Amino acid sequence: MDIYVEDLVQVWADRGEGVRALDGITHHFPSGKLICLLGPSGCGKSTLVQIIGGIEKATAGSVRVVAPGGSEQDSAPPGARSVMMWQGLNLFPWRNVIDNVAFGLEMAGMSRQVRYARARELIATVGLRNFECRECSHLSGGMKQRVALARALIMDQPILLMDEPFAALDAQTKIVMQEELTRIFVKMRKTILFVTHAIDEAILLGDEVVVMTARPGRIKEVIKIDLPRPRSQEMISSPEFGALYDRILHLIREEVLDAMRQQDEAFVQ
Amino acid sequence: MSGTAGTSGSGDPLWLKFLPSASIILLLCIWEIAVRVGHVAPIILPAPSAIVSYLVAMIFDGTLPYHLGITFMRILAGFLVSGVLGILLGVFMGMSRIVARVLDPWIAALYPLPKISLIPLLIIWLGTGEAYILTISAITAFFPVVISTFAGIRQTDQGLIRAARDLGANERQLQIKVVVPAAMPSIFSGLELGMGVTIILVVAAEMIGGSNQSGMGFLLIRFGQVMETEKLFAALIALAVFGGVVMKTQKRIEHWVAPWAAGNM
Repeated sequence: MDIYVEDLVQVWADRGEGVRALDGITHHFPSGKLICLLGPSGCGKSTLVQIIGGIEKATAGSVRVVAPGGSEQDSAPPGARSVMMWQGLNLFPWRNVIDNVAFGLEMAGMSRQVRYARARELIATVGLRNFECRECSHLSGGMKQRVALARALIMDQPILLMDEPFAALDAQTKIVMQEELTRIFVKMRKTILFVTHAIDEAILLGDEVVVMTARPGRIKEVIKIDLPRPRSQEMISSPEFGALYDRILHLIREEVLDAMRQQDEAFVQ
Repeated sequence: MSGTAGTSGSGDPLWLKFLPSASIILLLCIWEIAVRVGHVAPIILPAPSAIVSYLVAMIFDGTLPYHLGITFMRILAGFLVSGVLGILLGVFMGMSRIVARVLDPWIAALYPLPKISLIPLLIIWLGTGEAYILTISAITAFFPVVISTFAGIRQTDQGLIRAARDLGANERQLQIKVVVPAAMPSIFSGLELGMGVTIILVVAAEMIGGSNQSGMGFLLIRFGQVMETEKLFAALIALAVFGGVVMKTQKRIEHWVAPWAAGNM
């Protein structure tokens, strides 16, 4: 699914005199690609994916989701063709693994037999076979991530939105989850928008890295990542990776400094 | 609700682990010796050994099981009514702004009122029989339960609600499948609070009215009036153990119903 975002503006009216979170974002997120949104904290990258996911309503501007080759009339409203994997995961603590994964199908009114069969497949896909009946509170951080991923994948939506899902993981688990995501992406060929603030993660995962400015959020630059897939951690030491890293670091450094300046000013006030 | 949870650890040395029991045994010994040496009248302070022998006798002649059983049935009957009503109303208040607005002033006005102060009025209306005690029992737990349920529902993690919506839940599903289960820990703490006050109020009601001449409250008052201090102590011990067992059992039931919500046992 191609995602067209046009002149997207988001103003938080309830915070003081109004905070401009997004300031005229226009971009085409191409179908079947993994696109990383990179920017300093508070730059509105989470807000952007939440608007695309139909979770937040934009103050102004439009989001259109169109199947490749489809016409204007076929465009779906935000959220109708996407599912979110949340920063805090938001697993339901009172449900075990399989009932968390099958939640969406249960809401759609599918019988227990049908939804459990499908849930088992996806639990196997994310590598959690035999953990179906485990309580989520008894799982490690990485396993919870897998549950959240399976719960999103079961919705069978063409667009997967991921809001810094791996931010809280330890370094080793993060590497494993990045490889898992890449494997699933190659297998399922969804359009994935992946929010992150880690440059190496963005290069390792993305077909395209969208670098955003400090608040108010705009798109600073879009960088194509042509590294061959499958990618692995060893690539981090390659010269191509290094060149991309330096380039993005240079872009993002200015914005991080700008964001820090904004925070200092807010603190003084 | 283990009172010593913060102070005892598995790494403590042996003597520290036995310190709580040792302190109780030591106090009982001092008590026993003081009463015997000081020739304290049993009416004022009976020796622990005498209390224990009365306790055993009252268990085997059926006095304590009978009255404790009656008190327990009264607590249970009232608690079930107030628990069910409290949870239902709390859920409705959480789901409907209108219901919340209508009920909120009533709850705000009646909650701080000590329920024990309703006893004279209830005796005028209902007499001193069973109806009065059961009413007291049912009123008491209602407020903590309804307030905790309402608060729990209102404080549902917005992240869970957004996630459920994103996964296709409609408003009704959202309430039943997300909001109510998410409120379970609060509902349980309301029920625990409610049980505690219900035990107090039923015993108090049995003391004050109690024309049926039954229940632990009646027993305590009667032993007090005839100055059977040994029996009074024995009844107090039975009541303390009973209260502990009831609260512990409630925890176990909660843990069984909703293991994710019922904290540590």
